[in-house]
Amino acid sequence: MLSYLLFIATVGGIYGLLALSLNLIWGGAGMVNLGLAGFFAVGAYASALLTTAGHAPIAVGWLAALVAGGVAGLVVTLSTTRLREDYLAIVTLGFAEVVRLLAANEIWLTRGSDGISGIPGPWKAALGPAFNAVYFLIVVAALAVVFFVVRRIDRSPYGRALRAIREDAQVAQVAGKPVLRFKTEAFALSAAIAGLAGALYGHFTSYIAPDLFLPLITVYIFLAVASGGTGRPAGALVGAYLVMTLLESSRFLVEWIPGVTAVQRAALKELLIAVALILVLRLKPSGVLPERIPPAPHQAR
Amino acid sequence: MRAWRPALRQGMILLQALVNGLVSGTLLAVPAIGFTAMFAVLRFPNFSVSGVATLGAFAGYLAYGAGLQMAGSLAVAFAVAGAAGLLFDKVAHLPLVKQGALPAAIASIATGLVLENVVRLGFGNEPRGYDRPIARDIYLGEIRVSPQQLETMALALALMLAVFAALAFTRIGKAMRASADNPELAALKGIRPERIAMMASFVGMGLVGVGGMLLGLDSSIDPLTGTRILLSIFAAAVLGGLGSAPGAVLGAFLIGVAEELSVLVVGSQYRAAVGFVAILIVLSLRPRGLLGERAF
Amino acid sequence: MKRIHIGRRAALAGGVAAFASPAVLRAQSDPIKLATLTPLTGAGGSYGPTMAKVAASVVEEVNKAGGVLGRKVVLVSEDDQTSPEPAVRAARKLIDVDKVVAIMGTWASSVTTAVAPLCWESKTFLCTVSGADSITQLPHQGFLIRTQPNSTLQVSRVGEFILSLGAKKVFTMIPQTPFTQATFDILNAVLPKGGATHQSLIYDDKKTTYRTEVDQALRASPDVILANGYTPDSIVLLKDLYRAGFKGKILGFAYSINQKLIDQIGQPEVVEGVYTFAPSPAEGSAAYEKVKAAVGSANPDPYTCQVYDHTNMVLMSMAFAKDASGTAIKDNIRKVTQGGGKTVDNAVDGIKAIAAGEKIDYTGASGPCDFDDKGDILDCKFRYEQIKSGKFTVVKIA
Repeated sequence: MLSYLLFIATVGGIYGLLALSLNLIWGGAGMVNLGLAGFFAVGAYASALLTTAGHAPIAVGWLAALVAGGVAGLVVTLSTTRLREDYLAIVTLGFAEVVRLLAANEIWLTRGSDGISGIPGPWKAALGPAFNAVYFLIVVAALAVVFFVVRRIDRSPYGRALRAIREDAQVAQVAGKPVLRFKTEAFALSAAIAGLAGALYGHFTSYIAPDLFLPLITVYIFLAVASGGTGRPAGALVGAYLVMTLLESSRFLVEWIPGVTAVQRAALKELLIAVALILVLRLKPSGVLPERIPPAPHQAR
Repeated sequence: MRAWRPALRQGMILLQALVNGLVSGTLLAVPAIGFTAMFAVLRFPNFSVSGVATLGAFAGYLAYGAGLQMAGSLAVAFAVAGAAGLLFDKVAHLPLVKQGALPAAIASIATGLVLENVVRLGFGNEPRGYDRPIARDIYLGEIRVSPQQLETMALALALMLAVFAALAFTRIGKAMRASADNPELAALKGIRPERIAMMASFVGMGLVGVGGMLLGLDSSIDPLTGTRILLSIFAAAVLGGLGSAPGAVLGAFLIGVAEELSVLVVGSQYRAAVGFVAILIVLSLRPRGLLGERAF
Repeated sequence: MKRIHIGRRAALAGGVAAFASPAVLRAQSDPIKLATLTPLTGAGGSYGPTMAKVAASVVEEVNKAGGVLGRKVVLVSEDDQTSPEPAVRAARKLIDVDKVVAIMGTWASSVTTAVAPLCWESKTFLCTVSGADSITQLPHQGFLIRTQPNSTLQVSRVGEFILSLGAKKVFTMIPQTPFTQATFDILNAVLPKGGATHQSLIYDDKKTTYRTEVDQALRASPDVILANGYTPDSIVLLKDLYRAGFKGKILGFAYSINQKLIDQIGQPEVVEGVYTFAPSPAEGSAAYEKVKAAVGSANPDPYTCQVYDHTNMVLMSMAFAKDASGTAIKDNIRKVTQGGGKTVDNAVDGIKAIAAGEKIDYTGASGPCDFDDKGDILDCKFRYEQIKSGKFTVVKIA
């Protein structure tokens, strides 16, 4: 039972990282990233390939995941940030789909739909059964670091500028803020965090495959950020664990319903999440933890 | 002497790709018109078209299996899809449009998932066929086309003509165009925006549902039928100019042919990527699309 | 010092014995846990349920005869959905939560490739029916055996059969799988020796239409097409080949071109004359008859026969080793399958013989079940059939 709870807590932490990533740009700059699953995949594959075929140490793999995610984020925003938010939505959605296609078809690189198995875990053989607990602590550490970074950004003038862009990009531009550069930087950082989350996931489960990176993950994270409280890093974390709780309790709930097949159970779970997202958006769009806008610092007289 | 043979061969291969592309483009045009029309009137990209296309395909499947002929089944697909569109727009999407196009778009992703899983609940993941007779293809020289393809193409064309005629000649059609063009002015002239919105939801999604069914007629349907064509629908609409129905048709043909030609170059696995690349190119070079962002 | 020790020990023993005995008894009556991980849904969904069923029937018989090492055997059955990702999750649950000592019946090669590292890392024994060569080449340290002939053996026989049909131009259409490259390599070697050319293409097995792929294949004017996918895509492919008016011979593997495919296609003309090929179970043997009875079918598929063998071999290995663990199975399985003793074809007889101190040699429902040190079987027979008027007719078993 304990190992099950640890597993849930660890995956929840990884989702928390993704939620922080989304919160940075959606809650922060009002940009939507429907391609979260794509950046998640990029990081996971980068790290997995480097550490299996490339025999690189795990830390190098994780660093590469950060960089790969960031670079991918830059690539996506290059042609789209000056355009409207709904175009960005479509482009990021398409990006995630293309990443999945590449992962599934460039067999020479990614082993296709067979996936990459045997991804090493840090000190896995030495730790034995304690591995799960230690990995959980690693995820918590990563969460703490990212949370700290994101919160600093949130409270800094940079964060205020991002929020200004979210509220009204034109005004922000008129006020002299380099809108395009800020948006690009924020998106790249957000994508880098998503990439790191992907690497952490791969090394935890030891196996990744294209079918793991479905748009469904993106919906989970949107639900996490929306329900936890947009624009607030703590909200993103709360939301991530809310979603995990919903996911796992729905697994048990659904087992109680008699006469359903495995496929129907899976469908009911997805249905639950989708309906939850609609309800949250409609009924409590600000989420559990309302946004706290820190006041601007006093100007020295 | 026979040096022209290989060139003729290449020419035939290209021609076949063109023919296949025209067929798939015609089928793609139907949901693309629906999507772009909804965008013009309701002002947000509705990602649930994937789920609605699947819903329409399965509704038509049930009707066909129950004994309704082609016309009746298509009508059922249209009605069920349109009703679903109306319901979800009213309950989930439109209330959010006040907050912006984004929250509504995100909600539409969720509703698309809801529809996909409702279908999955009822029918499972196994692909199903419409129980149409499997017939040999017709050969026109070296080019082959199936009788089924011709039939679905004819149906799609007829439907599109009907839609354009309605938009041009009926009162409600003209009202919709006016409202999409300039909502405030239209409202002043007594055209009720809620009525127009409902019309757009119903007809737009109805077209998407019929599109799903037409696609499935030739092959098979499963819960992911609509999701597979989502990117292509967007690409067609964006390429033609979001909000322009003739643009959607033009975009659909271009995307259809581009996808078929791409198969010759990069292999059939990357078909879906063509839509994405097309969107990127359009948004970088000519964001308004080919026919501009005018309504209808 | 020692005295105090003994004294303490005696006290401890006395005190603990009071409520330790139930614990000791409990340990001895702790059930041995085995698992099947078969495709109950997905592309292999027509085989998974019977595979799990035959394992359950063997376990039931053995339990009735007293279990293994005085312990009851419990079977846990999970669905791998014929897909690596759900399979890995299910395997983790079996290994971490259920703590099984052996997993049996993984079907799709991609599933086995994904699950195998989890098994050898946790010293859980894996019995598979997957055919891809790469599987036994994994560093499984002996924790893996497979009862299915590997791709090299299978594809060589397929190539020979195609040549026997008089083929001159062969075209292979296959999705991306762990055995795709091996298939190309072996056919490229075997076919030219018989005077035939070979071309191929790889298709995406999730598509709803294959017109373009069929066009590409027909451009090569083949007289034989090898349709080497799974059932769902083979259904679409055969329909599209028919629509294109292909007049040559079509050959496929029996695991995908099966009765379910014929029923789903619905029109006999579409599948008329299609050849199928499969490793053949040991028909006529007593073990085969037992499988027939256990699953209630006159024609159990080869995978079900193999899982029957998996279950028997695993149980007998544990009895022989007097230890129920993955390592024990790994170290002792060949002693019961090719131990050079009395021939047995089921675990109940085998366990009795082991208890009596005899050497045994297991021969099962899928064949002689003798393994090399990489886990591959040494030999088996193959069955060639052809569809006539919507029914399978045997061409030869060789």
